[in-house]
Amino acid sequence: MSLVQKTPATRTPAPARRPRLTDDNGRRVRAWELILRYVLLLAVLALTVGPFLWQLSTSLKGPTEDIFSSPPKFLPSHPTLHNYERVSQTIPVWDYALNSLKVATANVVTNCVGSALAGYALARLRYRGRRATTVVFVLAMLVPAESIVIAQFTTMRDLGLNNTLVGVVLPGAVAAMNVLLMRNAFLNLPYEIEEAAYVDGANVWQRFLRIALPSVKGTLAVVAIFAFMGAWDDFLWPLIVLSDPSKFTLTIGLNYLHGTFANDERLVAAGTVIAVAPLIALFACLQRYFFRGVGEGAVKG
Amino acid sequence: MPISRRALAAAAVTALVLPLSACGSGGDGGGTTDASGKVEGDITFQTWNLRANFKDYFEGLIADFEKKYPGTHVKWVDQPAEGYADKISADAAGGTLPDVVNVSPDLVAPLAKAGLAMDLDKAAAKYKAEYLPGAWAGHQVPGMTGTYAFPWYLNTGPLFYNKTLFKKAGLDPNKPPKTYDELFTDALQMADKTGGKVATLANVPTIEDFGRYGVPLMDKAGTGFTFNDAKGVELLTKYKQLYDAKALDPQALTATPESSGKKFLTGAVAMNPGSALDLDNFKKQAPNLYKNIGITDQITSTGHVNMYVMGLMVNAKTKHTPTAIAFAHYVTDAEHQMSFAKKVAIFPSTAGSLDDPYFTKEDGTDETRVRIAAAKSLKDAVNYTPVLFSDQMKTALRNEVAKALQGKQSPKAALDNAVKACDQLLKQQG
Amino acid sequence: MATSTASRTRPSRPARRSPWRPARHPAGRPVSRVRRQLPTSPWLFAAPGLLITGAFILYPFVSTVINAFTDRRTLIPGRFVGLANFRELLHDDMFWTGLRNSALYVVGVVPALVVLPLLLALLVQKNIPGITFFRSAFYTPVVASIVVVGLIWVWLLDERGLVNSLLETIGVGKVGFLSDQWLLLLSAMTVTVWKGLGYYMIIYLAALANVPRELHEAAAVDGAGAVRRFLTVTVPAVRSTMVLVAALSSVAAFKVFSEVYLMAGPSGGPAGEDTTLVMLVQRTGTGLTGRVGYASAISLVVFVVTVVLMLLVLRADRREDS
Repeated sequence: MSLVQKTPATRTPAPARRPRLTDDNGRRVRAWELILRYVLLLAVLALTVGPFLWQLSTSLKGPTEDIFSSPPKFLPSHPTLHNYERVSQTIPVWDYALNSLKVATANVVTNCVGSALAGYALARLRYRGRRATTVVFVLAMLVPAESIVIAQFTTMRDLGLNNTLVGVVLPGAVAAMNVLLMRNAFLNLPYEIEEAAYVDGANVWQRFLRIALPSVKGTLAVVAIFAFMGAWDDFLWPLIVLSDPSKFTLTIGLNYLHGTFANDERLVAAGTVIAVAPLIALFACLQRYFFRGVGEGAVKG
Repeated sequence: MPISRRALAAAAVTALVLPLSACGSGGDGGGTTDASGKVEGDITFQTWNLRANFKDYFEGLIADFEKKYPGTHVKWVDQPAEGYADKISADAAGGTLPDVVNVSPDLVAPLAKAGLAMDLDKAAAKYKAEYLPGAWAGHQVPGMTGTYAFPWYLNTGPLFYNKTLFKKAGLDPNKPPKTYDELFTDALQMADKTGGKVATLANVPTIEDFGRYGVPLMDKAGTGFTFNDAKGVELLTKYKQLYDAKALDPQALTATPESSGKKFLTGAVAMNPGSALDLDNFKKQAPNLYKNIGITDQITSTGHVNMYVMGLMVNAKTKHTPTAIAFAHYVTDAEHQMSFAKKVAIFPSTAGSLDDPYFTKEDGTDETRVRIAAAKSLKDAVNYTPVLFSDQMKTALRNEVAKALQGKQSPKAALDNAVKACDQLLKQQG
Repeated sequence: MATSTASRTRPSRPARRSPWRPARHPAGRPVSRVRRQLPTSPWLFAAPGLLITGAFILYPFVSTVINAFTDRRTLIPGRFVGLANFRELLHDDMFWTGLRNSALYVVGVVPALVVLPLLLALLVQKNIPGITFFRSAFYTPVVASIVVVGLIWVWLLDERGLVNSLLETIGVGKVGFLSDQWLLLLSAMTVTVWKGLGYYMIIYLAALANVPRELHEAAAVDGAGAVRRFLTVTVPAVRSTMVLVAALSSVAAFKVFSEVYLMAGPSGGPAGEDTTLVMLVQRTGTGLTGRVGYASAISLVVFVVTVVLMLLVLRADRREDS
């Protein structure tokens, strides 16, 4: 449990008191090994983040700059935000981003609440049909999402929720995957913790809210991030369920861009940067909780 | 997102629910073809990727209509270009199809067969004379009687070519090819002179190419495809020669309209079909190319170019038949098509409109030159794509053609297979 | 995580039969003195999740299964046709092409996704300065939507894109990453691996944190080198996680759609040779003329194969256990 809890511990003392780096066991890390590690780290960094930076660089290049040059120019010679301006002139980017934000936030709330409740029931409560309930969620996870969209749409229409943001949120409101993540997290909690509260006379809701839930905060963060990413990135479902352009989410909104300016790499690049940047920022803010959540064993085999 | 397209959109319509929620069950109260009632009530109007550029035009148009017919309210929705067919199928299957829908003939055919498109020969026969006869017939479906959409705008892409590349290859930059035979000769010379570096074409032949080459595409009754005849095989054999000589771009097998446009912009391909809208794009993105751009008619061996027809369909289940028909007619009448044509490079489908000075008088600019040439060729243009030619059929043809070009099978076998596959798909469409 | 659940439910059940089973003894539960008692049915806890899953996932899925035995089309209700769709599959060349490509995808992607993220996890495991930055940065591709990722890579691998202009600069010349049948499939696999690295790295990190230090210490004392320690200590310790990763990634690989669709185009590369099964589902089943019945039959095949794949991986795991 782990990674993150250890991180600050190493960080603080390292520079001040001991100029030399040590590993977890206090052994000194050899210099050549350290250098090798950083070289490898930087190489992987170039591979994973490089493509995003290239996209960013393309989006900052002005109309007069050759983006096809060989050898390639990695930095724009005259950086300009012109392409971003053009994106926002073409589509109401901010309105769409706001819609995306609403949908993503709602998705985070429903997923955290719904999967925590269901996960707790599956992991900690004993009742007839518990196994069946678990199987239901496992099966749901295996269903190929692409093949059921229209059936979902007709259901939504019968409920009168098509063309609403509520309709966008509902099908993914409590994702089976998240329920199972929460179930695993609760399963990994020692029983003794709750037992004490049980003896003290706390009822199920009190045990759930005051004891179990606070111990799986990390997994909740994982669920929150997955839920946010899923809603923000989704394209197919909002496209089908929404027809009113004022309700469009960012991914669909940016589709206009492609329809109108397919040939313009700079504009498309600016569009992708707008779509990706908020997610990266969000993840950067939450990564500490995220890594802790994973450490809690949420996704352990 | 840009490319996201039908892509993700698409995996959509795979699993319709049980019959209960099936076919356009929306509004049992509607569905009359009687357009004589009072024009009032709320209707929804759906267009196809027009908001980004023409928001003001449509808002003005709708305001005028609502003023002319008090008590009406038109809600305008615009859908992205990608995934349009999927959006319509979702709405059609879910019974939420808007009252007036922007369609093309191949979209209207399945809707008409499912009883979702109103027969305008019954409901709006009195307006028929206002449109070009060919345009009105454009939305008729083989095997059915009736006309299922008002003709809206027409388009025919000019063909752009790169004069510099023509000169380099020893071709006369002022005499671009007009027929397929000239095209093949020029293309082979281009490939030969540039050592295979510059291709003339970026796309594999489509059903329209077969049509323009003079291949009969379908039998008269509309029950089977015929493009595997000797003439069709001849065309594909020619293309195979071009492909082998690199006169057809080696990446043509995976080309999309965007990628071939890009190749033309960068001078890797010498000719590319487009629309007048592209000129503006060239000016901005490739100023050097713009100076040397040549504009000519589409290649055709039949004397008739291809045209694209857009229409406005009226939902057969609409609750406000008179309003929906009145509005569809209002948008497509001569006056409003003309004003729309002045906003963007499209052409009205109403009788007599193409004789307007706007489409006949030169003023020295390239835009006008393109417009006049296109308007002229449109008068006897043909919509070659058979109304019943579905997306699945396009893919089948494309894949068989690709196999022939790669030499995996003979052109004859490829076209036989394609016809067989398309015939089967046609039968399955019912 | 489906696998972990599946593997956990059965074997660990008896072990968990602890005397502490509150919900089974409602009568014995002391009533809270602080608050009014809220309803405590376990079903109430599970209800929101079950409702959503039932209405929007399982019900539509059941209708897909039913549709697989009909000739339903997008706008025309179908009739029951028995096994006709499945018989047609056997003679459909495109189906076999799709099956081949989806299977190839599993073979190509899974080993890479089992091994590479483990190595990556070992690389970022040690707490050296700046390591949290590297961990987060390696996770970035997971965060970006597949559509954006597709766009970025299409632009990178374009004939005039970054990769080709680098290759040209060093004198290799242009490579048709996006026009050759096999290179296209390989490029798509690369993107899948690139996007998956960070995700599985995190799973491995969690597992590695549980490997007792002493094991490494002991091995080091015995004079084992890094490679030997990796093979004799690390790999056995994270073996169950490797199985989990294999199961998850093979299911995902078999269902691949977006990567190939975005890179090879809607018709599936030259002559459709890069079509995968889910792409075929999309192509036959969508649009106004879609053959919903036939497409549902293909979806059903995909579903059955993924379930079988997962069971196979888990079976292999259990056999090694015993």
